Amino acid sequence: MWFLSFIKTSIGKKLVMATSGLLLLSFLAIHAFGNAAIYMGSKYFQIYADFLHGFPVLVLIFGFGLLLIFLAHVGVGLLLFFEKRKTSSRYDVETRVVENTFASRTMPYTGAWIFVFLIVHVFAFNFGKPEGVKVSMLVQQYFSGFFYSLFYIISFIALAIHLNHGFWSMLQTFGLNHPRYNKLISTLTVAVPLIFLVIFGGIPIYFMTGSAAGY
Amino acid sequence: MMSTIDLTLKIWRQKNSDALGDFETYILRDISTDMSFLEMIDVLNEQLTREGKEPVAFDHDCREGICGACGAVVDGVAHGPDLETTLCQLHMRKFKSGDTIVIEPFRSIAFPIKKDLLVDRSALDRIIQAGGFVSVNTGGTVDGNSIPVSTETAELAMDAASCIGCGACVASCPNGAAMLFTGAKIAQLSLLPQGHPERKERARSMVTQMDKEGFGYCSNEKECELACPKGISIRNIARMNREFLKSFLLGE
Amino acid sequence: MELNSRIPSGPLAEKWDSHRFQSKLVNPANRRKFRVIVVGTGLAGASAAATLAELGYKVDAFCLHDSPRRAHSIAAQGGINAAKNYQNDGDSVFRLFYDTIKGGDFRAREANVYRLAQVSTEIIDQCVAQGVPFAREYGGTLANRSFGGAQVSRTFYARGQTGQQLLLGAYSALSRQINSGGVTMYNRREMMDVVVVDGKARGVVVRNMISGAIESYSADAVLLCTGGYGNAYFLSTNAMASNVTAAWRACRRGAAFANPSFVQIHPTCIPVHGDYQSKLTLMSESLRNDGRVWVPKNKDDTRPPAQIPEEDRDYYLESKYPSFGNLVPRDVASRNAKEQCDQGKGVGSTGLAVYLDFGDAIKRDGEDVILRKYGNLFQMYEKITDSDPMVEPMMIYPAVHYTMGGLWVDYNLMTTIPGLFALGECNFSDHGANRLGASALMQGLADGYFVISTSIGHYFGSERINPVTNADAAFKEVENEVNERMQKLLQNSSGGPSGKVTVDDVHKELGRLLWDNCGMARNRQDLELALEELPKIKDKFWNSVYVPGAADDINQSIEKAGRVADFIEFGEFMIRDALAREESCGCHLREESQTEENEALRDDDKYSHVSVWEYKGDDQPPEMHKEHLVFENVTPSQRSYK
Repeated sequence: MWFLSFIKTSIGKKLVMATSGLLLLSFLAIHAFGNAAIYMGSKYFQIYADFLHGFPVLVLIFGFGLLLIFLAHVGVGLLLFFEKRKTSSRYDVETRVVENTFASRTMPYTGAWIFVFLIVHVFAFNFGKPEGVKVSMLVQQYFSGFFYSLFYIISFIALAIHLNHGFWSMLQTFGLNHPRYNKLISTLTVAVPLIFLVIFGGIPIYFMTGSAAGY
Repeated sequence: MMSTIDLTLKIWRQKNSDALGDFETYILRDISTDMSFLEMIDVLNEQLTREGKEPVAFDHDCREGICGACGAVVDGVAHGPDLETTLCQLHMRKFKSGDTIVIEPFRSIAFPIKKDLLVDRSALDRIIQAGGFVSVNTGGTVDGNSIPVSTETAELAMDAASCIGCGACVASCPNGAAMLFTGAKIAQLSLLPQGHPERKERARSMVTQMDKEGFGYCSNEKECELACPKGISIRNIARMNREFLKSFLLGE
Repeated sequence: MELNSRIPSGPLAEKWDSHRFQSKLVNPANRRKFRVIVVGTGLAGASAAATLAELGYKVDAFCLHDSPRRAHSIAAQGGINAAKNYQNDGDSVFRLFYDTIKGGDFRAREANVYRLAQVSTEIIDQCVAQGVPFAREYGGTLANRSFGGAQVSRTFYARGQTGQQLLLGAYSALSRQINSGGVTMYNRREMMDVVVVDGKARGVVVRNMISGAIESYSADAVLLCTGGYGNAYFLSTNAMASNVTAAWRACRRGAAFANPSFVQIHPTCIPVHGDYQSKLTLMSESLRNDGRVWVPKNKDDTRPPAQIPEEDRDYYLESKYPSFGNLVPRDVASRNAKEQCDQGKGVGSTGLAVYLDFGDAIKRDGEDVILRKYGNLFQMYEKITDSDPMVEPMMIYPAVHYTMGGLWVDYNLMTTIPGLFALGECNFSDHGANRLGASALMQGLADGYFVISTSIGHYFGSERINPVTNADAAFKEVENEVNERMQKLLQNSSGGPSGKVTVDDVHKELGRLLWDNCGMARNRQDLELALEELPKIKDKFWNSVYVPGAADDINQSIEKAGRVADFIEFGEFMIRDALAREESCGCHLREESQTEENEALRDDDKYSHVSVWEYKGDDQPPEMHKEHLVFENVTPSQRSYK
């Protein structure tokens, strides 16, 4: 019951955004760690994939949990987005004092892009996966296509932008704002999205540029 | 040194809360650059009165930047282009001759426009009424020195307490949120030991009232912090978030 | 008119205690049957409304702002005095009492001032408990500073925003009572008149500043906490909306007005820079600790200050008052600045300013030290004037700051209308002819938090109060009068503005008249001239002022017009009071009463009294009554700053 009244409040909704964001970020970190195996070669990547699929029940539960968290993030995000629409363009002259709010202003749009990307991505590597093709091979197959790779790279840039505001915003929502650590936080706000961009975005580039010759 | 400038003003005029408003354009000549922004509007109003027109209604009182009565959005910025300055302390030397200045009221769902630039900000009062106090009656208090407060804490509390309740944070927030206003009061009273007994109840009831008034949520865009004429930091919003979370997780 | 100050008998230190014991009480269960109207929500009003509601009375509070938090108490910078003796520097209740009486130049009531000093300590405790973030020492105890030339450090402060923090404390207590239903808050209502039924104050008629409607509210007692009347001078450090209307209307209904000519003029304000100027900004007095005041020796010397050599400068305070120099009291500094400017030696574009030079202090102590001391003040000055005091001397000029005069009240803070009380700057009681720095906040809160609760209980416990409602004839009658007044303010508006004047035009004229003739230095001739000129200003107002807009709408012009009309009427009280007091005392110099060295000379034989003025009708001069001041515990002494 308290949870219901909690998420009815403005700060409650933001805390749902931040908590789900944190969980998604953790998933992303694990995902990035696993995918980094690609850079070691198809053999290692396949080992990782096979290992993961050795626990089908766990994967199922994990997948469902992830879906729920994701839906919460998107759902509350949409709610906030539509609430915001009510107040936007109030003034004849719109001047933003804060510089570099591109990331914050585009949160719903980068979010929407990531949503589309995820549908494509999950379909390609999960539900729509052709029978009998190894995942390690599938990766190579997909990323040999220029537009497909480009789509992925753009998506990872969108993700990085989304995280650029999201990471700091999450900490602020949790109440983590202290002059002593704010410098560290602002460094992480740039560093964390960049790490994800390098690991994930590197994969299509890895295949596109031909660096993956020995894959 | 003193010089004069000519200006074109585009000011939002609205008869009352129900009427549709629109911009009116006025020309002002020979405005001394030593004038404050509100004195410039005084000059316009004297001019309008002499022309038999109705002067522009706007809230103002102390003209020292402390009462929080004045405020308008000047060229898209609450309280105008000067940082940490209320409208009454903004001076015309910040403008150039030939400038067109667009002046609009503070807009928010929770701030209905009453007339021209004059808006109803009583929603902010109701947030304070919901819990922005320490429940102590007159008399029967302990000696002031029996509640020690470190200088550091006193300074932080004072930073938060310097809010003048002008509503610029709401006016500048893309979501029309009153987080900085509410956060500042919650932070002040959660920092000081006097506010501790009621902190959980306070965070919850003030935030609930804030939502009820129709203020938006926070998307962490920091506009409020820069619009705030007293430079109140969004660190106070973080503190409020913490207080609020604690109140829900640990409150009775 | 009978003036009974109701000062309790007994030794000074026991008066307040014995008074509280002798006052009647109202049973807690009965308190909710009484309704109290509080007009104004500054320090006095907000604290009184909250305190009375806490006790169980029903309170209706009114303010003319959009929120009760905006009253001008908020602008007080320096601090609040209290006889806590936390610094162990020899302070005591008696010393604070003595300093206040002496500071007021022996024109205040001993008993009231002693009570003020007594409750001062409780005020600090109360404010701390509310969460007012006072400055602290490193050990966590409350910090104090010495203020306004006091020899002890008894001033509590919250940066330069003490008034704001104390007001927000009182406002939070008020908000709590609004939340619990003890107080009904009416924002944006301006009091237009007080309603007297059977000789007792029973309610108010207010104007709803949004709808323009004239509304009546009835109650069992009315508290006026409506501040001072410094804006009679047009330019003052008061807020734009500060006005005399509530007090003046009460005066017309029978509340006597005490010492209307006692006005404090602060020496260090930013000078007027043009006709368009709307108000004056105070700079802290502490600047005179290091700044040297000077003007050019020769009239009409238009050279920039840096090009005026030392020998062409006149450090007039230092030469005239060798022992105090630039640190002479407020009134002496103010008077001398005006004198220099009247001689044509004033500086700046208007010639109405003197220099306050930090050049020598910077040379002596270095830029860092001076910036650390005054950096924020310099910043404020630069924001307004665009000139950096580190580079060129500051310009200052005196400005009207505080009015010690106010509605006459007895020891219970009750005016000569039973059931009508006046608190804070609105009454006259505690500051005599001059107010000490950091004492205004103390008095407002003392009245509101600690004094009025006893008075109200006693009033309700001892008077028979018949039921009335705001539908009664007495209310309708006053409503009609107010409506007529509003229509009268608009009477010139039908033919359009041509050939007419604006409200501000007339207000400036009134201000000029008072400033020139009823300001820091006064003489019979000027005051009599002013008395002759005043009716002309009044005629001009009623015959040719143009007020745009309608009465039943938000109309800031009609608000202003009503206030100015009352300032003009009230102006006569100020001038007549000044005329009647043929002595120099406190803030003002009566030119006929000075020593051979041109210093103020008080005349205790003839003027050791409060001048109490009774309104006798529009066509008749007011009648003066005297409340003789008795000093049993202190001996009046003459000031000397030579």
